[in-house]
Amino acid sequence: MLLALIILLPFIGVLLPVWFHRHGRTACAWATALPPALGLVLLFSQAPAVLAGEVRRFSLNWIPELGLNLAFRLDGLSFLFCLLILAIGLLVILYGRYYLSSDDPMGKFFALLLLFMGAMLGVVTANNLLLLVLFWEATSLSSFLLISYWNGRSDARRGARMALTVTGAGGLAMLAGVLLLGHVVGSFDLDVVLASGELIREHAWYPVILVLILLGIFTKSAQFPFHFWLPHAMSAPTPVSSYLHSATMVKAGVFLLARLYPALSGTELWFILVSMVGLITMTLGAVTALFKHDLKGLLAYSTISHLGLVTLLFGLDTRLAVVAALFHIMNHATFKASLFMAVGIVDHETGTRDMRLLSGLRKYMPMTAMLGLIAAGAMAGVPLLNGFLSTEMFLGEAVAQRVLGGWSWVIPVVAVFAKVFSVAYSIRFIHSVFYGPSQPEALPKPPHEAPFFMRAPILILVGLCLLVGIVPNLIIGPLLAAAATTTLASPLPYYSLAIWHGWNLPLLMSMVAMVLGTVAYLNFARLLRLWERLPAVNAMDAFENFVHDVVIVRARQVTGRLENGSLQHYLSLLILGTVVVAASGLWGLERLNGGVPLSALDPPSVAIALIMMVTAIYSAIWHHERIAALMFLSVVGLGMALIFARFSAPDLALTQLSVEIVTIVLLMLILFLLPPRSPNDSTYAHVVRDGLVATSAGIGVGVLAYTVLTRPQQTISDYFIQNSVTGGGGTNVVNVILVDFRGFDTFGEITVMAIAAIGIFGLLDGMRLFDPKKDPNVQWASDKYPLLLLILNMPVLPLALMVAVYIFLRGHNMPGGGFIAGLIVAIALILQYLANGLRWSNNRMQWDYHPLVGAGVLLAGLTGLGSWSFGAPFLTSAHDHFHIPLLGEIELATAMLFDIGVFLAVVGATLLILANLGKLKSLDTASEENR
Amino acid sequence: MSTELPFLVELLVSALILAGAGFAVIGALGLARMPDFYMRVHLPTAGTTLGVGCTLSASVIYFSFSLQTLSVHEFLISMFLFITAPVSSHMMAKVALHTGVKFVDHTQGRPWPSRTQRPSRDNSQILSDWQTRDRKETE
Repeated sequence: MLLALIILLPFIGVLLPVWFHRHGRTACAWATALPPALGLVLLFSQAPAVLAGEVRRFSLNWIPELGLNLAFRLDGLSFLFCLLILAIGLLVILYGRYYLSSDDPMGKFFALLLLFMGAMLGVVTANNLLLLVLFWEATSLSSFLLISYWNGRSDARRGARMALTVTGAGGLAMLAGVLLLGHVVGSFDLDVVLASGELIREHAWYPVILVLILLGIFTKSAQFPFHFWLPHAMSAPTPVSSYLHSATMVKAGVFLLARLYPALSGTELWFILVSMVGLITMTLGAVTALFKHDLKGLLAYSTISHLGLVTLLFGLDTRLAVVAALFHIMNHATFKASLFMAVGIVDHETGTRDMRLLSGLRKYMPMTAMLGLIAAGAMAGVPLLNGFLSTEMFLGEAVAQRVLGGWSWVIPVVAVFAKVFSVAYSIRFIHSVFYGPSQPEALPKPPHEAPFFMRAPILILVGLCLLVGIVPNLIIGPLLAAAATTTLASPLPYYSLAIWHGWNLPLLMSMVAMVLGTVAYLNFARLLRLWERLPAVNAMDAFENFVHDVVIVRARQVTGRLENGSLQHYLSLLILGTVVVAASGLWGLERLNGGVPLSALDPPSVAIALIMMVTAIYSAIWHHERIAALMFLSVVGLGMALIFARFSAPDLALTQLSVEIVTIVLLMLILFLLPPRSPNDSTYAHVVRDGLVATSAGIGVGVLAYTVLTRPQQTISDYFIQNSVTGGGGTNVVNVILVDFRGFDTFGEITVMAIAAIGIFGLLDGMRLFDPKKDPNVQWASDKYPLLLLILNMPVLPLALMVAVYIFLRGHNMPGGGFIAGLIVAIALILQYLANGLRWSNNRMQWDYHPLVGAGVLLAGLTGLGSWSFGAPFLTSAHDHFHIPLLGEIELATAMLFDIGVFLAVVGATLLILANLGKLKSLDTASEENR
Repeated sequence: MSTELPFLVELLVSALILAGAGFAVIGALGLARMPDFYMRVHLPTAGTTLGVGCTLSASVIYFSFSLQTLSVHEFLISMFLFITAPVSSHMMAKVALHTGVKFVDHTQGRPWPSRTQRPSRDNSQILSDWQTRDRKETE
């Protein structure tokens, strides 16, 4: 539990800085420091056990079905990283308090920082691969927010976007890899995965898994060829660069290399991939860093180079290389964080980070200069500093490895080459900023020393650099041993953390690099000229062009081909798709006829069918005359209702009839806005295509119906018929199915209907269309609302309402029900609108239809929930006989309440759509209304 | 259900059904045979009001006698029809007049008096037709 608390504390404390922001900046910083400080205390309370080799675990089921559990582990490796995250986090909070100006929203900054801290702690302690991916993504997201902290600046936004795209894409690849890995192992539990290294390495999917996971790692740790996002992430505030982009987040990638080392490493593929990528990144980063004029740019490329060095170490085939890698992670975090902070001070106090402007600052900020000098020395690998020790170990392993067989000597040679540049840019960093002639007038701000508390974090970190460099075993020995034991999952190889190992090859290489590096800096001007002759690649532009090409151009091409704006095209695709699916299902049948004898043809059915066919064909032929086509179409609909009535489905017939009327009214309202004739713009080819599609769909449906209906099959209708009275308390099986047996479906349907109605309302509301062109040859009537219609329409409303009530009440036992009754009421009300106009009707029906729709869905839902209070499942119906005076014996079911809900939803939705379509008008009709 | 009905009742029911059927046939025939829209619009209305009315009356009488209770819900149907059928005929005729549906010479009645400033070609054609005929009649 304590363990989970360490990770959760930053999340819990996220709101603290926001609250305390109003109490001043110092209070805000103190409040922010509380969670990591507490976390650090808790972490140290675990230290003795962890350093002794114990693994602390915490597990809580989250979504066990997916294999996702809230499982954490604290072992040597996670302890090391937790320590880095919490301790450097605290220093960054202190530093950030003085770095941010009073205009910057500090609460937001610290809240995001805590969010990141929690996510990062989650990554390093997760004991479940899925959980790890989750936190991994959280670090990408919070990093995005932190880079774009100054969201008014375009470079910050672009840099943030690029970082998110690159690390997010890598995260997706890693998720895929992790899913495959979990599939191979059979568990996402890290304990299990780490123990099944043999199984994973011998599996056929191993190369795929490895490459996918490495993609995640390389993007996160800015390895070649994904390194380009890191320099652009430098548009973040310097505390963020110092914390995320040098000390912690970019280390998440190499952390995962260490974490999965027992599971994935040990193969040829691993060694080649990891070491080559590391080697290239290290060299590229070191060379580029020397020629960056921006201080943060120099440090960014230097970070890339050092991350490459760590990656290279993980890719070497000696076990000691892992120890060196972990050691260098710690050292790099301390000296690089302090260098970033020093740059932040320089930037803060002078207003620029350009090394061509800065010079001789030693006079103005001697303390910062001193600290920067030591930290840069550690970066260059000067003896008595921590960087020297890990660099020595690195060079030693570079010599000892045999990754490339006969070509293995390449690695130490390239390593020395990179080291030369590393020494050169370290010298340049110090010399050009703090030494040389001082020219304060060239700077945007008069330079002066930073406040003490801004320098304090650097002081602490640099002190650590020195202590580790001088007495390494005392300070870091046990921690490193514990972390390395976890990573290697076996007893440690022999190593000694001494300063003096005697005269050996690594020391010689170091010295050569020092000398050559100094020479290189002395000839910097010449080298720069060479460098500037190389073709310059702007990573940002290249990246944005790439994204533009993929997302905008290509994606639009694909979308444009599918969605070309033609309804005919969509429909034909949809119908053809259905035909293909259905046809492939029918293909496997031996014969279409299933053996059930066909019933004899009877004249009425044949007549209705013929009428429907003829009118359907006519509606297609007359489609240019919209009204005529609509009339034909309505004949088809009415024929459908007759067919239903003919085959003993009165409920369906009633529904079909009322739906038909509503549909016709709807279409008429829309037709008013369209020209009376549609132009003929389909080519012959289109007609043929559409004809083919329609014919194949028609034949397909016919064949399907024939096939299904001639097959003897046990349907569930018998069950419904037998249980209708006993189970649902009604003799109308259709209604009982709707409101009881399949009540949940109905509930879903009315919900969808309500959503559709509100969606349509949203589309129509405030829409202004042009009036249709009136035919000048037609003399329009002067009475807008004909008297006869107006008067005779009035008695229809009470009559229709009466019928609706009747249909509703008898619905449970006889044909009828809430749906039909709702449609009838809706039609009766629409008739009032049509006959009397909007104004007249709105004056008499002064309510909105939205609450009606909502009330219907709510009532139906509450009826369903009501059964819970009796311990029954959702929507269980209860029914009983009641004796009511005057009316006599009556059977009431809770389904009736549900039906009222359906009724209300139908009335509301229909009127919401129709009344608003009717309201659709252009400005001139509106002015007529107001007259 | 099928109790023996008195002969007179049976006769009345049969007569009403036949009359209803007759009106329906007349309505259908008229729809097919009448020369222009203004004449055609009358006949289906006759079929729906009188034809259905007779048939429903037959139903009322038949079921009142056979079930021994007064059966009145048919009146509801006829009420609906009596309200709606004339309205729809009226509206159709109105639209026809306004859109200037062609008519044959011996169709009776007057068109809407024109109040438009700019009579359309078809309409003015129709109007002048009427005016010339009026003149002929006065002459």
